[in-house]
Parts: sequence; C-alpha cells; structure tokens
Amino acid sequence: MTTPHTTWHADDDLLAAYVAGELDPIGGASVEQHLTRCAECRVRIRPLVDVPALDRTWLAIRDTVQSPVLPLPIRVARRLGLPEPTSVLLAATASLRTAWLASAVVALAFAVLAAAWSSDGVIAPFLLVAPLIPVLGVAAAYGPHEDPLESLVVTAPYGRTRLILLRTLAVLASALPVAVPLGFLLPGPVWLAVAWLGPALALVPVLLALASFVGPRAAGATVAIGWSAVVLGSLRPLPATWPVEATQQVVYLGLAALAGVVLYVRTRHDRQIGAVL
Amino acid sequence: MNAIDLQGVTKSYGRTRALAGVDLSFDRGVTGLLGPNGAGKTTLLRIVATSIGADSGTVRLLGRDPHGTHGDVTAIRRELGYLPQELGYPSDMTAFGFVEYVAVLKEWNDRTRRLAEVRRVLDLVGLGDLATRKVSKLSGGQKRRVGLAQSLLGDPRVLVLDEPTTGLDPAQRADLRRTLSVVAGRCAVLLSTHQTEDVAALCERVVVLAGGRVRFDGAVSEMIRTAEGQVWLADDPGHDAVVSWRTGTGRHHVVGGMPPPGAVPAEPTLEDAYLLMLGADARTASARAAPA
Repeated sequence: MTTPHTTWHADDDLLAAYVAGELDPIGGASVEQHLTRCAECRVRIRPLVDVPALDRTWLAIRDTVQSPVLPLPIRVARRLGLPEPTSVLLAATASLRTAWLASAVVALAFAVLAAAWSSDGVIAPFLLVAPLIPVLGVAAAYGPHEDPLESLVVTAPYGRTRLILLRTLAVLASALPVAVPLGFLLPGPVWLAVAWLGPALALVPVLLALASFVGPRAAGATVAIGWSAVVLGSLRPLPATWPVEATQQVVYLGLAALAGVVLYVRTRHDRQIGAVL
Repeated sequence: MNAIDLQGVTKSYGRTRALAGVDLSFDRGVTGLLGPNGAGKTTLLRIVATSIGADSGTVRLLGRDPHGTHGDVTAIRRELGYLPQELGYPSDMTAFGFVEYVAVLKEWNDRTRRLAEVRRVLDLVGLGDLATRKVSKLSGGQKRRVGLAQSLLGDPRVLVLDEPTTGLDPAQRADLRRTLSVVAGRCAVLLSTHQTEDVAALCERVVVLAGGRVRFDGAVSEMIRTAEGQVWLADDPGHDAVVSWRTGTGRHHVVGGMPPPGAVPAEPTLEDAYLLMLGADARTASARAAPA
C-alpha cells in the first residue's frame, strides 16, 4: 500500500537514530512503518545504512536457514569434537537419524523386557536382535536406494572407502552406547551383556565384504537371515547362551578376519579406480 | 599438455565391446559427443571422470595417470567436475544441502568458503532462489541444474557432462549455453547428447562415436560441410535417400542419395551431416521414430 500524498518525512537525525537502533520500540516501529510507504525516506536512509554489515547479517541468516538441521546423535558428536565437514557427510546418513536409532532401541528394549519377564530367562530375542542392529544400521546407511549418489561419491576426492568406513564407525558409535547398557538388564550371567558384541562387531565386516559383491540391501538380508538361523537353530537342542559362547566367538572372529581379507583383496585388484566396498 | 589424452582406449562389459580403440585428446573448449545409443559415449565419459578404468590403452588426465597412485587419482579428482547420466538425489535433501554434501566430498572443509561456493554455483545455474527447496519438489529440468551446479564446484579444469540437456526447456538450454561459455575459457568441457541442435548451439568441436570407434572428430562447421551438396528440398521423398521427411511447407527435406527431380539444394545442418555419417544406423533409427 502506498499513500502518494505523504506530507510528513522523517528527518536525518531520526533516520540515523533508527539505523543505529537508538529509538524506543514504538518510535522504531513507526519509522519502519513509514519507510515501507515512503519512497523518498527510503532514498534518504540509504547512505546511512552500513551495507557490508547488512550483507553479513543477511548471509548469516541465509546460512542458518539453508543449512540442514543435524540429527541429534551428530549434534552430540559435534559437541564432543566431531569435525564440521564430517558432520555434513554424516547428516545424510539415513540410519543416523533419530527415528532410526529410536526404533532400534525400542526393538532392543522389547527383547530385554521379554527376557526379564519370562520365567526361565529366555534370551533368544535379545541375541537375535542386538547383534543385527549395528549390521542393519550400516546396511541402511546407504538410504532407501543403494546410494543414490554412488556415481558422484566414486569420483570425489574424498573417496568412497573412506565414506563407507566413516559411516560404519558412526553407526557403531551411535548404536552401541544405547545397546550395551540394555544388555546389562538381561537375566543370566553378566558376561552375556558384553558377549553379544562379538557377533555384532564381527558381522559388520562380513556385511561390508558381501556388499562389495551384491550391494548393501542383499548383503544386509543375507547376514540377517544367517544370524537368525544360528540363533533359532540353536534354540532347542543347545543351551540358550550357545550362540555367544567362546568356541562360537572364535568362529565369528575367523569370519571377520576372512571378510577383512576379502575387502583388502577386492580394493586392491579391482580394475575400477577407487574402492569397491 | 592436453587436459585429456586418450590413446588406444578399449573397454568391454563382458562380451560387449563398448570402446574399441579410441584416440582422442581435448584441451580447453566445449566438445560435444554424438552417437547412437550404445555407441560408447557414456563409457568414454565415465573413463574420463575416473569412475571406471579402461581395459587397455593409455589415459592421461591433466598429465596424470588415473590408474596410477592414490595421490594421482585424487589430484585428478580435485580438478574434475562430473554430471553422471543418472543421478539420484536423496529424497529429503534440499538443493543447497545436496550441493553442500558434494562440496564436502570435494574437500571444501572451511565452512564459510564452502557455503559461499555452494551459493555461487547455485546462482550460476539460476537456482539461487530455490536453494532451500527439497530436491524431490523440483522439476526435471531444475534437478538437472542442481546436478550441473555440483559439477561446477571449485572451477574444475575438466568438466564431464553426460546428457546435461535432458529435461531442459529451450530457455534453460540457452542458460546452459551461457554457463558453459563462462567456464569453457579455462576448462575442458566434454558433454554427450542425443540432440544435434545442442551440439550446434553449445560446442565448438564435435566427436561422433559409433560402435565404440571415433567416426568424426573436428569443428562443428567442418562436420556440417561434409553434408554440402547432399541435402535438397524436393516435391518427392527421393527413392534412395539416407533419410527424408516432409517439412511444414509440404516439401521434402532429402538427405543423401540422388537428388529427386526438381530438387533445390538446401543449406545442410549438423543433423543432416550426422545422419549422412551414420547412414544405415540413422535409416533404421528414423524408420523407428516415424511409424506413421
């Protein structure tokens, strides 16, 4: 709305005081109102405004508005010293979203509750779910499609291997601190609370090695089915803690070492420039 | 030293030969790659973009060997911009967030400089105002421009664009031409397309690939000259023409073969030259394209 016949104009002192922020709220608001309607006063206020300072303010506002909001675990990690560029990369990781982590924790909490409430301490649900959380978190890190940015990530100087290892570490670092304390609520021997970490950590390199051949989706599914078979297969004939006993732990360690070798050979000998993970 | 040097480059996928011995070199300026589907355009671009390796032959990019040390590959990639043919966008990223993500992958670690650079490339492709829009809410042409923006990060010395004009309307094509003319002075631009008009409008040099080999390599004007004296306007389609079609005036545009009776020589276009060059391939392509 412009009123063409404005007779009153703000004088230079008033405009200067307005720019300097020295007016009281009511005075400031009325000058502002007047400026929106009066082209003449807008022309006269221009030389009084510190343009570079205004630009800086505007850029700061744009930066704040345009930068994506970081998921909670990444904000926590930033406080703990995670470099800023790394946090941008991790923010795009689907399984670091608060929602994903929350659902993982809820699944695990149910498994713990089931164990605690059952009369004879059934720990199978926990052993089934807990080691798969890091694995599926790493597999899901790629997002709903196998990395849609694949072709760009491959040709970026940052490097694909580095990005995948970074995501894997981030998933472990965000999932384990919530999963480990839950393990201590389990009935049964105390060593159980940490024993599940054996397969949990061993299955991650197995997943990465499989993913280098068949992609993260299929690899995630294969590992999940394989682990379920181990847990469910041992349910009846063997003691409940069988999947995480010492002998089996050695097997997991062996699998992890094998997966490590496969990954090493794959990254060395593939003709694709860069990594294959 | 040329920015891009390829000698005897071959690449096969299983039993399919995508590139069968290609010798090409490129320096500053815009080069268009033309060719039918499966001619090897995308394979060639992916090799130059260090996305895949060649099976044999030598590839030198900015004087370095992309098959060499990790340091060599990384040094090349720091000077490289790449727009892949198929680029997926994470569904909940904004245009700004997407380009910023790629900027971090390109090692723009200083936040202030990175944000300024992201804004610069988004403004360059005319998306400054849509920066906060989710990529999933953008039109096809706008998405393509987001892809183009990320390829321009850091003023690359080698710019590889695989079908950059897909989904762009004529006005956006004109914008792309302006953007490329800005960067082409200091950068080797290699772009592929199906549209001869794009090459005529955007490029100084044209390379025609067919069956994994280079069929033509030269200036756009030179390629047009190859069709001189073989293009006519006539009242009938010509019985042995490579290709002919009825134009809006009711006359036939006849390319190749013997001039039909009463034919008037016509000014050849890049498309005519391309159709003549590919001969049989083009004939089958146009038969498929015009079922009526």
